[in-house]
Amino acid sequence: MSEHLYPSSLTRRGFFALGGGATAAALLAACGGGKSATDAAQGAATPSGTFSAGYDGPKVTLSYWNGFTGGDGPFMKQLVAQFQKENPKIAVQSNTIEWAQYYQRLPAAVTAGKGPDVGAMHLDQLATNAARKVIVPIDDVAKALGLSETDFTPEVWQAGIYKGARYGIPLDVHSLAMYYNTDQFAKAKVEGAPKDAASLQDAMDKLKAAGIATPFWMPTRWPAHLMFLSLLWQNEGEPYAADGSKATFDSDAGVKALSWMRDTVTKGYSPANVAIDSQYVAFKNQKLAVTWDGIWQINDLNAAKIPYELAPVPVIGTTNAVWANSHNFYLTKQASQDPNRLQAAKVFIDWISKKSAEWAGAGMVPARKSVRETDAVKQSKQGPIAAEIAQLKFLPPVPGLGDVQAQTLEIAVANAILGKQEPAAALKDAASKATKLMQANQKKFGA
Amino acid sequence: MASSQTTSGTVPGRRATSSDGVAAAAPGSSATRRTSWRGGATPWLFMAPYLVLFVGFVVAPVVYGLWISLHDYDYTLPGKPWVGLDNYAKLFSSDSTTAGPFWQGMRATGIFTLFSVPLLLAVPLAVALLMNSKFKARNLFRALYFAPYVLGVAVVASLWRFLLDTNIGLVNQYLGAIGLPDSIPWLTSTPEAWVALIGVTVWWTLGFNAVIYLAGLQDIPAELYEAAKVDGANAWQRFMNVTLPGMRPVLSFVTMVTIIASANMFGQAYLMTRGAPGTETRTAIYTITETGLRNFQMGDAAAMSYILTLFLMLLSVVVFWLFRERSA
Amino acid sequence: MAGSTSTVGSGRTPASAGRASSPASRRPGPGRAILRYTALAILALLFVSPLVFMLVTSFKSRVEAAGVPPTWIPHPFTTQAYSSILGASGTPVLRWFVNSMIAAAANSGLVVATAAMAAYPLARMEFKGKKIVFSAIIATLFVPPVILVIPNYLIVGKLLWLDTLIAVIVPTAASAFGVFFLRQFFLQLPRELEEAAVLDGANRWQTFLKVILPLSKPALVTLALLAFLTNWNDFLWPVYVLFSPEAQTLPAGLSTLQSANSVRYDLLMAGAVIASVPVLAMYVFAQRFIIEGVSRSGVKG
Repeated sequence: MSEHLYPSSLTRRGFFALGGGATAAALLAACGGGKSATDAAQGAATPSGTFSAGYDGPKVTLSYWNGFTGGDGPFMKQLVAQFQKENPKIAVQSNTIEWAQYYQRLPAAVTAGKGPDVGAMHLDQLATNAARKVIVPIDDVAKALGLSETDFTPEVWQAGIYKGARYGIPLDVHSLAMYYNTDQFAKAKVEGAPKDAASLQDAMDKLKAAGIATPFWMPTRWPAHLMFLSLLWQNEGEPYAADGSKATFDSDAGVKALSWMRDTVTKGYSPANVAIDSQYVAFKNQKLAVTWDGIWQINDLNAAKIPYELAPVPVIGTTNAVWANSHNFYLTKQASQDPNRLQAAKVFIDWISKKSAEWAGAGMVPARKSVRETDAVKQSKQGPIAAEIAQLKFLPPVPGLGDVQAQTLEIAVANAILGKQEPAAALKDAASKATKLMQANQKKFGA
Repeated sequence: MASSQTTSGTVPGRRATSSDGVAAAAPGSSATRRTSWRGGATPWLFMAPYLVLFVGFVVAPVVYGLWISLHDYDYTLPGKPWVGLDNYAKLFSSDSTTAGPFWQGMRATGIFTLFSVPLLLAVPLAVALLMNSKFKARNLFRALYFAPYVLGVAVVASLWRFLLDTNIGLVNQYLGAIGLPDSIPWLTSTPEAWVALIGVTVWWTLGFNAVIYLAGLQDIPAELYEAAKVDGANAWQRFMNVTLPGMRPVLSFVTMVTIIASANMFGQAYLMTRGAPGTETRTAIYTITETGLRNFQMGDAAAMSYILTLFLMLLSVVVFWLFRERSA
Repeated sequence: MAGSTSTVGSGRTPASAGRASSPASRRPGPGRAILRYTALAILALLFVSPLVFMLVTSFKSRVEAAGVPPTWIPHPFTTQAYSSILGASGTPVLRWFVNSMIAAAANSGLVVATAAMAAYPLARMEFKGKKIVFSAIIATLFVPPVILVIPNYLIVGKLLWLDTLIAVIVPTAASAFGVFFLRQFFLQLPRELEEAAVLDGANRWQTFLKVILPLSKPALVTLALLAFLTNWNDFLWPVYVLFSPEAQTLPAGLSTLQSANSVRYDLLMAGAVIASVPVLAMYVFAQRFIIEGVSRSGVKG
């Protein structure tokens, strides 16, 4: 799988073979590519093996930014409060901003020197922010914390690397999942969660027969493109070349994926013109039986007190795969310039990442293997998703990819599902535009 | 520049069309001569505080923006290479990545402006006529019509997105209840989405224009209506021959302000339709914001802004020419 | 004319006289009145029902707020949304409210003061460069504000104003609309009073303060309210220049309560009510000035 994602990552795989070896930091600093000499020196200057679980310098205040504004917010707040109790010398000032604003504000704040010392961001944003020098390489942190690929999964661990340097320490992974209304399933005599195209179709037909006219609403916007990506991977396609040189989502696999989504509408399982968030609100109101959404909705759905269960997204294509993302810790230059702050930030990251069992309460799957395999996580609502972690697929670390996708892929998916364009034509247009944008980005970010 | 002179040129026109017309203008201009201090630092001292702000936060940024438009500019990156007029040329070349979205956005802005401005001019006028008299609870009604205007766009958009949802929204539900089609795709298909965006905008900003009209209506001397009545004019004729001409200065002001506001439409589309379906309802400002503030392609975004500005200025010339033509 | 010095008082009289004799209301027959009230009521219903819906939703439970079909009477009636907005730690809503009040009041004060001072010579004095200055100001009306965001962000950064309220008060205070609007108003003012003041030995500054400003109260209040509203509702710019939780203004702050992927209509609407009630109250208070501010009738008579 990793070869597939990173056909040209010989260096990277070479590095992973070295694991946490002594030469790793130097090697990384060397292949840091565009990093300035100072950056490289900083990386190398941090003595290895200095990490201890505690912090005993002078009292410091860490500015910690995150986007946990939803049902995940209270869990993070609780973790931070507990951390401060156990580490009285480190004060953590949290700044919680809704993600869309967060990514707009972060570069501005860091450029102005008013940004965070440490923060959490999505895996697919690391490369972009690394290229913009908003965040700094933290291979030394990973090493000091004694973390390596084996503590996580290869996919999530490798997607945190941009130009040979690591920028993120994974906190959790979160993927798309299938939510289904258990009452309606019982009423329609559907047993268990559908596992593939045939059993999903069978369930749909039974649900329709049981009076649920449109059991599976196909969104046109969020999370439609995530559904598409999952189906594309399931059909053994790849959305982008791993080196960020071109978009490949218009392949046969892509057309198959998108046609299946459109068919859900034309075959009458979904109403046409599902507006933003409509399918989710309707699911909460028990107007439909099945929806695919992120596992982070668990708490919201629990609060809605509806009879539901969640299961892995069924295998519609030929292989099991599902879109996923991950929250990662990063550091900014601000923290790395002051050794006390840096040490405090390391203690913070290490502590939270070890405590991530509690974070599972937020509906996420802890990234650390040791935590993920605890009973608490296994028995949680997202337990079935945690078990499938090997099937999770992440976007390649290409700077600017998120914005390219918003302008191209997301539009194509919407157009096809709305029936404005044939899937193949929509994807073809979007992919050629995406390729152009990606090549412009390569030039811009000096890939 | 030409257009701005037109703007200032229209200003006296406002006075000339007032009831006492020419008579008022003559003593006014003689007074100008009498009470004017020529030269000296006085006017500049008066203007100094404003000019400091104006130069610092409007002129400088506008010039800075022009400079940015000549670069491949991303403020988060160290290199901002000079590209000359490339960013502009790209907007006129069919195989560039910026031309398509930009002209699509201009088209959307054009559609929105074309259909929203007449409504935003006519509907508030009707409301103002309805309210231009003494009746019980008049102030209450005025406050009610203005009320939506105090809401921020984020609130307006979220509220209407919920109400206009095709499958679960209240609007379609009520339409269905009175026997009309109940599955209108207000947010996901054109032209329905345009109807929704324009309707919401009228609802949101009607109060502002109505208030300005109301002030203009109270300006029209009652004697003119009396005279028209004596001449046997019916209500419609009175409206056409007394009200409209009397309102011309206010109308030209409201037209200009409304055009500028409509051409800058962004929040409604961004929050209600996300430009759906596809990118049809992505306005020019939407495209510029996405390009400059989300993708950080500020050079491209700046070039787009200046072309849009140019269009707006040309449009303003047309508008002033239209209003002049009729008053002549 | 002497009465006009007290502006507002005298200003209202001719206006209301005009109103009383305006055609529609001169002899309102009962049929006409019924028609009028019916039309007004239907319009008002269209206008207000979404706002009522907003208010009602803010008192619903989290589940009911996203309920389909939506209800018009909250059941159960709860202030949970308000308490969770006002009580959330790390989101000092009251602080945001105060910030927004300070920023909007200071900004609108600055707009009115600078625009009035600039509009006065543009309306009343002859000097070299007047046309150029006025044209330049008007021309900027056509520049889409979005173009100013990045350059102003860089400028504000150089001035070390980032993350302070000054950043949302000062840069947006150069109002081209304000200068244009007030100049129009000043042009309509009778010159005789100024001339009388000058004969009494007043200089230009005193004339401006003692004659022009009192005469222009409706226009100044109108501009102040519009500037206040614009600043109060501004969203894009504060998001860019304010970073820390305690520095936020209300719209930017309230949006952080919204989760990206789950819809909390109860919180959203409660936030909207908190943000809009003060400005609505302010409008009700100021509306009589607004009508006069735009109207020239008060000063013409």
